[in-house]
Amino acid sequence: MEDEKQLLELCKFAVSQAHEYGATKAETQAQFSSELEGSVELGQISSVNRQTGTGIAIRVFVGKQMGSAFTNIPTQDGIRDAVRLAVSAAKVSTEDPDFVDLPLPSSSYPSVDGLWSDSAAGVDPGEVVGQIVQLVKEATQSEAGLVPAMSGAGAVEYHTAYANSNGVDHWERGTVGYIYLGAVAPSGEGMTPIVLSFDVKRGVDYDISSVVQEVADTLRLCKVSASGESGKFPVMMHAMAYGQIMQHTLLESIRGDSVVRGKSRIGDKLGETIAAENLTISDDGTYPGGMNTRVADDEGVPRRRTTIIDHGVLRSFIWDTYWANKAGVASTGNARRQLRRGLVEVATTNVVVEPGRRNAEDILSEIKHGFFVQNVQGAHSSNPQSGDFSIVGNPAILVRDGEMVGQVHGLMLTGNVFDLLKHVGEVASEPRFLEGAIAPDILFTEVNVVCRQ
Amino acid sequence: MFDELERAIEPGLELGASYVELRGETGFIEYIQMDDGRITALTQRLERGVAVRALVDGAWGFVSTGDLARLEDAVRDACRMARAAAPTRKEPIELAETKTREDRVKSAARRDPRHVEIEEKVAYLKELTRVIRDHDPRIATVTAKLRTASGTKYLVTSEGARIEMPINLVWVYPWVTGKEGTRLSAARNEEASTHQGWEYLEKTATPEAVGIPAARRVVLQLEGVPAKAGTFPCVLGPRVIGVLAHEALGHLAEADLTVNSAFNGKLGQVVAAEGVNMTDDGTDPGNVGTSKYDDEGTPTSRVEIIKDSVLTELMTNREYAAKMGLRPTGNARAESYLYPPIIRMRNTFFERGDHSFDEIFEGIEFGYYCVDFRGGQAQMNASFQVGIQEVFEIVNGELGRPVTDLSISGIATDALFKIEAVSDEDFPWELGRCGKGQEAFVSSGGPSIRFAKGGIMFGGQT
Repeated sequence: MEDEKQLLELCKFAVSQAHEYGATKAETQAQFSSELEGSVELGQISSVNRQTGTGIAIRVFVGKQMGSAFTNIPTQDGIRDAVRLAVSAAKVSTEDPDFVDLPLPSSSYPSVDGLWSDSAAGVDPGEVVGQIVQLVKEATQSEAGLVPAMSGAGAVEYHTAYANSNGVDHWERGTVGYIYLGAVAPSGEGMTPIVLSFDVKRGVDYDISSVVQEVADTLRLCKVSASGESGKFPVMMHAMAYGQIMQHTLLESIRGDSVVRGKSRIGDKLGETIAAENLTISDDGTYPGGMNTRVADDEGVPRRRTTIIDHGVLRSFIWDTYWANKAGVASTGNARRQLRRGLVEVATTNVVVEPGRRNAEDILSEIKHGFFVQNVQGAHSSNPQSGDFSIVGNPAILVRDGEMVGQVHGLMLTGNVFDLLKHVGEVASEPRFLEGAIAPDILFTEVNVVCRQ
Repeated sequence: MFDELERAIEPGLELGASYVELRGETGFIEYIQMDDGRITALTQRLERGVAVRALVDGAWGFVSTGDLARLEDAVRDACRMARAAAPTRKEPIELAETKTREDRVKSAARRDPRHVEIEEKVAYLKELTRVIRDHDPRIATVTAKLRTASGTKYLVTSEGARIEMPINLVWVYPWVTGKEGTRLSAARNEEASTHQGWEYLEKTATPEAVGIPAARRVVLQLEGVPAKAGTFPCVLGPRVIGVLAHEALGHLAEADLTVNSAFNGKLGQVVAAEGVNMTDDGTDPGNVGTSKYDDEGTPTSRVEIIKDSVLTELMTNREYAAKMGLRPTGNARAESYLYPPIIRMRNTFFERGDHSFDEIFEGIEFGYYCVDFRGGQAQMNASFQVGIQEVFEIVNGELGRPVTDLSISGIATDALFKIEAVSDEDFPWELGRCGKGQEAFVSSGGPSIRFAKGGIMFGGQT
């Protein structure tokens, strides 16, 4: 089912069937995806994998009672069976007095270019294998002892469609290509941590050399052991490192459902300064080149750019239709549907941190005594409600007199994200394109660091 | 489904595959989520699909498909995938020998969740929400999640294996937040069975048994004092020592990871203090990681990872068993037909020691007693991190004030030598999910274990 217009017809069929079976409102999202991936173990390509399938999520309302179903059988019979399950579930569900309506038709969708690349959609297994061979070859030549421990490359094409009872119908398609290198090397301490770098884009024209160089440069530093001391220090964080902290704390707090349910520590702080003046963060579902860029969200609502923090001032939260209706605001196009679970949630799209003026090397060169943290362990165990985090920086590199010295084993970073936001010293000028973020490295001026004595 | 799967083997062999494996699956899966008493998801799904693996010229090709009418095409595609990778390999992948089995494993579930009315499931979640809310007025929000699955999986290989096994799951997970003034806290709990049916939630994981611990942890955090930063003597209780067994050591003993980890080359060497034993047991009756066979058809087993302080065995699949000259331990697991099987833990635990529970606290002037965790993560250099959501001070050998949430960390290969005492207590299993690119239901546990200062770091206030 690779034709998104056929998918849309199935969605419309599901909506009409739902009404026949007694639903008063219905919506359906269908997605076909095909992913081709090659993976590396012990420095050699171990397997080439293809995962292909169609998923159809149906959500219905009988009055104010909701039920949903999923099927991976993209036929009218398969859909009828799923619709029956959804309607019967809705009939025994509990009433939700806050349910207002599904999304209404939009006057226009944003024009977003570059979502589709023929190079990724038609990629051949041999081409993926060739890219991986090149990656492994360059990687093993880049640094003595380097072993590609978890590496690979792949490409995904997706076709998605949405329809609901209110006449919203929408389809789109896109591609994503990715290559990643996670490598280790023997060190004085036994083994370095896995150092990870990747390149994601819409096509398969990967920047292999940059990926390899970042891993090799970091591994070289990890081979040298350094010791640190506990206290408050300046810490330069790779976007991948602070991105994980924010994902499990700040970004939970800007969700409209967290605000309405009283789970957000900043739910009552719109218009107030919550971060340093040099920090501006947006959620931009239309960002060119963003991996989560789409024309519409998973409810068929147009994607858009929403400024979250503007020069330190909290400007907006993000919303899907249900929670926006409840709060009396408009959806910001931030609905994400877990197809198999039938759950529609508020979720960020591309988190964009506005770049600063100087590059990361220049900023780091002015650190007298501090650390560079390239990645972290355990950000997912942070407290999303309070914003408290207590994690391991790994790799964490000691910086002395502007020079990166070597890896500090077992370094921990602790604190609260809302304190951290107030200590943004400088944002670097070069954004990194990550899976859900476009963000430069950031120097935080004062971070609680705990080191082994 | 066996016949459909078997018909698709031959085209793979004709294309030169030395091994073809098809894993079919049919299932009925349910997910219900209730946020503060409101149902936000009530989803039923019918799932069917097949995973195809073909070994051609020493490389794997894998295809996952929901289209059972085109299985032979999927097998041909898997061979094409493998053939693309094969010329790049310096040495071909080989599989360790296992006895080929034909078997049909029956479900032990008494109340198949598929046949339990939705109303009963909704009532369970309502009661869970009520129990948690009634525990303390400071409880602010309750999100309760319920998953059930029932179905069958089928394994057919070109070597002649033909195994049918049940898919069973009942799983419940409350996420609770608390609020007192401007202070916010959060905690979770999780219980599951992969062998029992709905009766598990009726008799074992009742709303009270699941809800009260989560609510209690939220309140303790609101009342807790901040943790200090640095290293202290500490006692890790069964749920935390279990996750340490899993995160800090278990992953290093998964053979596909061992080769790139701090355990590489240490088989046969002393890796822990005296009296330390750690095991992964895929045969423990009724436990969530237990199964008669793994997803390659190898019988599961008891893997003595650390025996008398020595790194003794690694967990393997057939590929790594052949590569490293080890026995296949039955640890190849796939989340579903969407994924290839990889090496995963099952039920991982420290064995009991010979100290009484009270003895292991004796002599600690100041330290911490860690009771429950919230997530953890390991790295190849043996660095581990575990988020702690229930912890108390130890002052002069006695339990003291509760502490607000924090995390602990360390280098596993160092920390193992800082173990001072292992208690002789029976311990409850911690039941959860491991994410190594795929979800796997696992359990972990162990008796309370005491670490000397220097073994465990506490990420508190500096």
